[in-house]
Amino acid sequence: MTKAALNEESIRKALSEFLEVRTPETRLTTMGAGSDDLEGGKSYLQSTAKHGWHVPSWPTQFGGRDADNRENALIGRVLKEFIVPDLYPFAIGLGMVGPTLLTHGTVDQKSNWLQPIATGQDVWCQMFSEPDAGSDLANVAMGATQDGDEWLLTGQKTWTSRAMWANWGICLARTDPSKPKHKGLTMFAIPMDATGVDVRPLTQMNKDAHFSEVFIDEARVSDALRIGDVGEGWRVAMTVLSHERAGGGSRGGGEGTTRGAFVPNWISDLETFGVLQVPVARQRLMEIHCHDLASKFTSQRASDEARSSGVPGPAGSGAKLRTVRSYKERAYGSNRLAGASAMLTDGHGYIETMTAPSMSIRGGTDEIQRNILGERVLGLPGEPRLDKTASWSESRKGLL
Amino acid sequence: MSKLIVDELITQTANRLFSEICSHEAIQNAETVGEAPEIWAAYTETGFPWISIDENLGGSGGTLLDALEVLRLVGYYAVPVPAAETGILGGWLLSEAGFQVPEGIVTVLPDQGPDLAIKVDGSQVSITGSAIRVPWARSAEIIAILFHDNGNNYVASVQASDCAITPMTNMAGEPRDTVRFDGVVCSYAEVSKAIDSQSFRFRGALSRVALMAGAIEKMSQMTVSYTNDRVQFGRPVARFQAVQQHLVWAAQDAALSRMAAESAAIEATRGNGAFEIASAKLIANQAASRATKACHQAHGAMGMTQEYPLHHYSRRLWSWRKEYGGDAEWSQWIGQLAVAQGADGLYPLITGGSRVL
Repeated sequence: MTKAALNEESIRKALSEFLEVRTPETRLTTMGAGSDDLEGGKSYLQSTAKHGWHVPSWPTQFGGRDADNRENALIGRVLKEFIVPDLYPFAIGLGMVGPTLLTHGTVDQKSNWLQPIATGQDVWCQMFSEPDAGSDLANVAMGATQDGDEWLLTGQKTWTSRAMWANWGICLARTDPSKPKHKGLTMFAIPMDATGVDVRPLTQMNKDAHFSEVFIDEARVSDALRIGDVGEGWRVAMTVLSHERAGGGSRGGGEGTTRGAFVPNWISDLETFGVLQVPVARQRLMEIHCHDLASKFTSQRASDEARSSGVPGPAGSGAKLRTVRSYKERAYGSNRLAGASAMLTDGHGYIETMTAPSMSIRGGTDEIQRNILGERVLGLPGEPRLDKTASWSESRKGLL
Repeated sequence: MSKLIVDELITQTANRLFSEICSHEAIQNAETVGEAPEIWAAYTETGFPWISIDENLGGSGGTLLDALEVLRLVGYYAVPVPAAETGILGGWLLSEAGFQVPEGIVTVLPDQGPDLAIKVDGSQVSITGSAIRVPWARSAEIIAILFHDNGNNYVASVQASDCAITPMTNMAGEPRDTVRFDGVVCSYAEVSKAIDSQSFRFRGALSRVALMAGAIEKMSQMTVSYTNDRVQFGRPVARFQAVQQHLVWAAQDAALSRMAAESAAIEATRGNGAFEIASAKLIANQAASRATKACHQAHGAMGMTQEYPLHHYSRRLWSWRKEYGGDAEWSQWIGQLAVAQGADGLYPLITGGSRVL
């Protein structure tokens, strides 16, 4: 197929050869809430990787198709008409590590890691947060000391989603404690089966155990697994996080199509509870629905901007705030309107309600996203900080 | 008239007992097992379950206000026992009908299934059909059922062991079972005309209001304490204004729902607290929604884990706000009442409450 021939019709035709079309009845899980399906995602990625349909902007030799921004956006839109399984297990690789490697990876790293990400063969997890480094990510204490052409990593990561499935982790570690906290960091890829890596699942209140603590005790990592220069870890981390906010690449899951059916599923599902005729309920539902639409456009804008500039900007923070609020309002709204039966663990909207509080926390809290917008979009003065200049070994004790 | 001050000794004793027996692990364990016999045993030793029930009928005496103070603390410590059901709901129905309250757990039907049929047959009744979301039915000795027949109100005292019980749980992991009555025969007795399905609904709401006020207060205190301990960017996160906003929301909601719960408790003890109970349930429901959001956000990821106890409170609040009337039901009731007062009656209603009705 020549690239010039690509239009909506030809994309649709190509995709329909191996994907099922979404209908208004389509119900898919999102964000891993209640889904542990690796096989569905894997077989979807295997079928799409041949022609690079899932990560079109990646180079052809790495599982993409060298698509330009226009084509990339077009493919993304047409893909939404089809049933794409929940790619939650693969989202870190596809949406965050892949694009980061394209920016910061060596030639070898790209050739070794991108293709297996695109085909779903490799699952990556993101080892950033630590017990004392959550919102204050630059405070990571995981130590990495050089030993010949290897590094020895020791420390503890936490809130590591997908760690129990992952064969690779992208891990932020401190290589120089005497430098200020943002300066002494370096990024590594760690094989999750390396000696000294111990994954312990953390059960969440929704009974889900996708979260883990990862204890690392003198794990040996070859220098070839370092991503970016020594001391450049923060910059690499920022690339990863900006892709996380922009949500690029983690396409998949979601609702059935609303083409031809103007009422979204989450609203029509409430019909059995007899609330759709109640004026107060209708008003609330439409408020949420309008916010949903605004949120979709904001996310679209953020991801279009990211695609056309190649670098996701602060618009991703705005999009994340909106998307999260949409999810929470839909979850809480559905559960409330579904009445007393929805108090049960098999009631309407149970999983969503139990997952909702985490949405405005994971991937950067609402407060952190607003700080980014305040400082980078509005140009407001930042919080008073002394930790930018003092050495990390000093600043970790607390300067304020 | 009952005295309208809670006996300080009740608050002290309940605080001491609950803080001893209700560790995080104990609550967690009750959820896994589906009941907590040791906690229940310790609780019954104090006589707390039967406060406000006549001593001649096996109760502990005391006022409704005292009983509600214990319930508030049951909410505050997330005590995993059917305190409201055995006491001011089921125990109340039984004692009003002149039955002796049993030593074991009593429960009630918050919602009857549409197919529940109760047929009077001489000195006994025969019950067929089902009931859903029955608290702790699996552990109960007696299920007390309020019903109407020929213009009179009655209470049937059903042996739980005569019923088929399917275990179900609410979001907080508390038992909310489905109970099937297959021609169960039991004794019954008449209660006064004032005890009807509406007054039972109000009493149910009153019990949830007390529990919710306690839970919101505890959640608010936990959040203040956690955010003062949690250090990020070189200082406790409670020093950041963005976090302080969450703390203030939670503290306001704790104060608001406790105040509403107390005024409902006082008016109900005085004799008629319908307006205060309706208002308090609506206030507690709304406060629960806001405060759970605020407390979870301020806790960050830690609050989402099983190992940290915040979820004992948030999940209970999400369930309790749906029991004995959600926002819509009570908003409608208050709205209709307010409209019926006319323009000149609105302000007196707000300031005087049930007493001017």
